[in-house]
Amino acid sequence: MALLEYAIIGGILYGIFFSLVGVGLNLIFGVLRMINLAHGQFIVLGGFGAWIVYQYLKLNPAFGIVLSIIGAIIIGYPLYWAVVPRLQKSADPEMLSFILFFGLAQMIDAAMILGFGVSQRSVPTETLGAGNIGLLGQTFPDSWWVAAAVAVLAILGLYLFLTRTRLGFATRAVTANRAEALASGIEVDRISLLSFVIGLALAGVAGVFIPFLLGSVSPSLGDGLTTTSFAIIIIGSLGRPIGTVVGGLVFGLGTMLMETYLPSWSDLVPYALLVIIVLVRPSGLLGRAVRQT
Amino acid sequence: MSSEALLELAGVVKRFHGLAVVQDLAFNLKPGEILGLVGPNGSGKTTAINLISGVYPIDAGEIHLGGRRIDQLAAFRRVHLGINRSFQVPKPFRGMTVAENILVAAEYGGGQPDQEQILEEVGLTAERHRVASSLTVNHQKMLDLARALATEPKILLVDEIGAGLNPAELNVVADLLLRLANRNIALIVVEHLLKFLNRITDRVLVLSAGRRLFEGTLAEASADPEVVAAFLGG
Repeated sequence: MALLEYAIIGGILYGIFFSLVGVGLNLIFGVLRMINLAHGQFIVLGGFGAWIVYQYLKLNPAFGIVLSIIGAIIIGYPLYWAVVPRLQKSADPEMLSFILFFGLAQMIDAAMILGFGVSQRSVPTETLGAGNIGLLGQTFPDSWWVAAAVAVLAILGLYLFLTRTRLGFATRAVTANRAEALASGIEVDRISLLSFVIGLALAGVAGVFIPFLLGSVSPSLGDGLTTTSFAIIIIGSLGRPIGTVVGGLVFGLGTMLMETYLPSWSDLVPYALLVIIVLVRPSGLLGRAVRQT
Repeated sequence: MSSEALLELAGVVKRFHGLAVVQDLAFNLKPGEILGLVGPNGSGKTTAINLISGVYPIDAGEIHLGGRRIDQLAAFRRVHLGINRSFQVPKPFRGMTVAENILVAAEYGGGQPDQEQILEEVGLTAERHRVASSLTVNHQKMLDLARALATEPKILLVDEIGAGLNPAELNVVADLLLRLANRNIALIVVEHLLKFLNRITDRVLVLSAGRRLFEGTLAEASADPEVVAAFLGG
């Protein structure tokens, strides 16, 4: 019974964090109708940001959050203008974006290997708190709770942005239907740009906690994180950012239950969930079709 | 009604993959006028609306609004200048309520509309808190019109709003469009339902294969052998 409690509480914490891992990908897909296959690489960049902040700036790695947001703005703006408007004008922007962002992912991987080497880089877990916090008799490292808290704050912030602000309404409008959004007077390109940068920033912020949740960060993690993020947003609801929380929790619980009872099979969780959801409920657990022309 | 043209199209051409779908299109529209745009399927009616509203760029010609050339402007800028449209298949912002759908257009459309009045005008006051995806097709069409009205248009392009509506609903829509024209909003109405069109407009433009085939009253169009041949495929 204690094992089950551990798996469930740990799964919820892990799942909340992985909601943050996937939410940026979902936001970008929802607004731009493009799949950012370099999403995992942007998460890894956030992880290296935390490592740099700790290793070279001698600051708490949590300052990597600020670095990630600044990095998302510096990288996101020129990247958007360089590729997205051209892709939008093409006959099949989704497929072309697939190819282009796959290429970008490889370039980022290569750049990270050149810059940081192939070694795994870790950050001492004590930097986010040296103790453990217990719940229902189960204890987890402070860093897990911090990661989950930051994830909750980031997702809550995104929710409030989408539902309480003028720009958020416009973002939801573009997500629902680009043509109707244009006909409402919304500058769709500007909203897309903002969403792209926010999506990258959320990926980077999630990345800051990767060294703590996964033990270390290395350039080779990117593709796996993209796959996991993709599985999470499909499980929740593709194109519906807040639905990512459902996907994240299912993934977190599934992973922790497998790691508890069948640890050698736990790596299969995202792929197995992906296949099951696509076969049984392709619109995701929240079940809303998002594809509109 | 002012005698000065609000909208002017001159020599407008649109090609898709080399195939001209609109050729040398030219017409004027005055404030408060309702122009019917008719023609067989594929004649270029909806494309013409897309060109005026800025969904597609034109390949040749000019479009002027109130004397200002607008064919190089982005679609959202044309909305701010007073051109709006409804869609053949309306797709409102599904996750938002009726009131939120109108609010978005009111916020971004460049005007300061009375949102309550718009809701009342299109008959959606009672539905204001309903999520748009739960509306009937008729109500979705009304919401689409409301969204356009919330930007305070000078010109409203209405694309096949009558399709799928019953006679009573058609009457309500016809009355609404006539009221809008009385407020000096110019309308271009693409429609296959000629009886509906006959009720709201005196002037129609008949398109065939992207070209202007006829311009005049609907009665005159019905008697024109070329128009009859175009509709019957003769």
